[in-house]
Amino acid sequence: MSVLKIKDVSKIFPNGNVRAVDSFSLEVADGELVCLLGPSGSGKSTLLRMVGGFERPTSGEMTIDGEDITHVPPEKRPTGMVFQSHALWTHMNVFKNLAFGLKLRKVAPDEIKRRVEAVLDLVGLAGYGTRHVAQLSGGQQQRVALARSLVLEPKILLLDEPFASLDQHLRERLREEVRDIQQRLKITTLFVTHGQDEALSMADRIVVMRDGKTEQIDRPDVVYREPQTPFVAGFIGTMNLIEGNVANGIFSKAGYSTPLPVSDGPAILAVRPEALDLAVASEGSQGKVHRVTDYGTHGLVDLELNDATRVKAMVSHPDLFRAGQGVTLAPRAIAAYRDGVVIHRA
Amino acid sequence: MTSVTIRRPTDWTGIIFAVVLTLVIVLPLVVVGTWAFTNVWRFPALIPQEFGLRFWNQTLARADVWSSITMSLTLATTVTFLSALVCLPAAYAFARLDFPGRNILFFSFLAGHAFPKFGLLVAIAGIFLQLNLIGTFWGVVLIQLVGTLLFMIWIPVAAFQSVDRRMEEAARDVGASPMRVFWSITLPQAGPTIAAAILLSFVGTFYETEGAWLIGAPQVRTLPVLMISFINNQPVIQYGAVLSVLLWVPSFIALLFARRVVNSGSFARGFGG
Amino acid sequence: MTAIDAGQPVLAAPERRRPIGLLLVAVPVLLVIWLIIWPIISAVIQTVWVKTPEGGNSFSVETYRFFFSDGYSLSNLSITLWTTGVCAILLLVVCLPIALYLRFSDSKVAAYVQGLAIFPMFVPSIILSFAFIRVLGPNGTVDLVFNAVGLPKIRSPYLTPWGPVIGLVWDNIPLTVLILLSGLGNVSNQAIEAARDVGAGKLALLWHIILPRISNSVLVAISFAVLGIFSAFTLPYVLGPAAPEMMGPFMQRTFRELFEPQTAITQAVITFGFCIVFGLFYVRSVARNQAP
Repeated sequence: MSVLKIKDVSKIFPNGNVRAVDSFSLEVADGELVCLLGPSGSGKSTLLRMVGGFERPTSGEMTIDGEDITHVPPEKRPTGMVFQSHALWTHMNVFKNLAFGLKLRKVAPDEIKRRVEAVLDLVGLAGYGTRHVAQLSGGQQQRVALARSLVLEPKILLLDEPFASLDQHLRERLREEVRDIQQRLKITTLFVTHGQDEALSMADRIVVMRDGKTEQIDRPDVVYREPQTPFVAGFIGTMNLIEGNVANGIFSKAGYSTPLPVSDGPAILAVRPEALDLAVASEGSQGKVHRVTDYGTHGLVDLELNDATRVKAMVSHPDLFRAGQGVTLAPRAIAAYRDGVVIHRA
Repeated sequence: MTSVTIRRPTDWTGIIFAVVLTLVIVLPLVVVGTWAFTNVWRFPALIPQEFGLRFWNQTLARADVWSSITMSLTLATTVTFLSALVCLPAAYAFARLDFPGRNILFFSFLAGHAFPKFGLLVAIAGIFLQLNLIGTFWGVVLIQLVGTLLFMIWIPVAAFQSVDRRMEEAARDVGASPMRVFWSITLPQAGPTIAAAILLSFVGTFYETEGAWLIGAPQVRTLPVLMISFINNQPVIQYGAVLSVLLWVPSFIALLFARRVVNSGSFARGFGG
Repeated sequence: MTAIDAGQPVLAAPERRRPIGLLLVAVPVLLVIWLIIWPIISAVIQTVWVKTPEGGNSFSVETYRFFFSDGYSLSNLSITLWTTGVCAILLLVVCLPIALYLRFSDSKVAAYVQGLAIFPMFVPSIILSFAFIRVLGPNGTVDLVFNAVGLPKIRSPYLTPWGPVIGLVWDNIPLTVLILLSGLGNVSNQAIEAARDVGAGKLALLWHIILPRISNSVLVAISFAVLGIFSAFTLPYVLGPAAPEMMGPFMQRTFRELFEPQTAITQAVITFGFCIVFGLFYVRSVARNQAP
């Protein structure tokens, strides 16, 4: 039903010439959940706030279902925002928090009651209407905040790191609930987070942002398996990024070398720890075991190349390795980057 | 010192402080209270010879007492109302808007506190003399209004600033106009602290003695001003005592409501602590 | 942001808000300028730029020369300085132990002591004056008690220089305690425990750890008290001797009873001069704590 289009949007804050968001474009399809993922300062929250109407873009335009909303104030936009700190109105009870927006829209009282109760039911808080906000737990407060946005049936739902203030366990549960609700209502959603787990588990597509620009837009599994830039490679999951040189189809770095069919020059070799096999070697070792950590289900070996470059490898039998041993490295899947773009994948 | 002993030793220091402070701070007020309900108390009896309400009737029958009660209430209400009218919008502006000279204007309200108060009052009285405001109601209103400015701006500024911006944005998000956000979200959130500021300003004005005495007396006679003349010229002790008890009522109400504000650290910091 | 903004250049946003902000703060700011800043400037100008007999104006320090050569004015000034000094010392002697006790005690008694220490804030000074006379005045409660146990009457401080001293100290206890207590809040428990760990006794702790950290608060408390006491009016007027009198009652009498506003304003400017250091220090400290 609702499509959000963001076209060439930039934001420059008056103090300082930094482009918080730099010529950003994105199209969110109807019913899709798109995650904006990036480190703090990458401009993801600013972008979300521009969609909500709380910041005005310096240039560019945004439309919802073809209608230009670039200069529409937040109270007139068909968007609903859930804030990180939930921002519930502490002087109202749960019911009044949800009813406020409906009252502003002059909805009849019995209709208000019906819709509020339906949404409270949806977020699993049926019967909580008369509770005071302060009496609720952190997770319940965040659910009320979600309900407050949903009750107005917004065309676009905006979530600004909604689980950041919750503990790990609760975060995982709410993540699933929100995803369920979103899919049930088929509501177009833009979600900001700096947690890759959240993005990978919830999103239809992930936008990885850095310095106000897009690094990659793809499905979660593609972003994980085929990062387009070394930044994405380093940001999503754990990735060994080894900076070295290629000569005659051989990548080498401090005594370690492996075939890499690209032209000569500097390159960054990217290998996931789980795609790196190790073998104990008494002679011709390429690296030395620094530390072995046993996680029960698997083990993690920290090793050092000859020039002290750190590399991690995931192993199924950590007891085979001990600190100080020489090892050889055999990557099963690699990618190579040069000048910030991928040049080889195998 | 907070020591880690399991059995807490008797807090002798505290008990000594408590006893001495009770004697020095509570006892004098108890004596005044006793005088107010005393019909006869002649030297050297430790306890009054006769308790009673005779002097309440006599005090409350005096025209000057009633006129000064009315005067004090009118003055305090007028000043508090005017102060709220001009200060609260200003406080909101300082808390939420950006304009040139914001900081220097914000601190300009401290100017009155950089000088000894009565000296400043005399300087102001010099100006009022040329404007024929000496001995007038509005002269006293003005001088007391100036006295409330600092608190009526600084406390509400802190109150407005402590309202979460996201709360206001959430209200915009569900469709409230900026004015509606102010009425439905910002004001109720900042309300209790602002109410405390208004209460403090009312009570402060009600007891303001020096400006009223210098600018207003004898034409504008407030309760504290009347009290001074009772102390100086009135041989019947009970009049003053009854008036003291009457006079203390607003303070008592303030005590009940403002304790939280006064005990909070931000209040003391407001005085530079 | 309202609908009207739509289409206007975005960077102009702060500029457009400016007039509204200034407009909202205009009335109180103008009041401050008219009723605080202007009177002070005017007072200084008025007292040094006086009318000459020929009808013109000229620079003259005659009013100040008179004040500083007049024996009565000088004795009033010296009683004011004496009262202020004695009060400041007494306040520290009384309030520092209370504040220290409150900071480091968590017993139930402490809450009661704190309540009592703050209580005078809710007693208007005029009621205090009346209570003072009833307790320490002639045939007051103290006399009654002394008489009952067979002791002679006290020499009442009422209408002596000690009258205002006692009243002013009583009146200033709450804010002094609050300011000191707020300063003591900056002394962390760890700092104290670390010092005790290396063997500091209670006195060493007070002298080397606590006092250096709260020195600013002590100065603020003293400044605040000095500003309030130097030109105090009600308590000295009601409780003090008729002559010499403190600057507050002196200025009031000069202004309203002798009707010499020029002389009264000169006296006011002189009180400004004596307090300027404390005033500036106080304002600076408050401003540092209160950046908006």
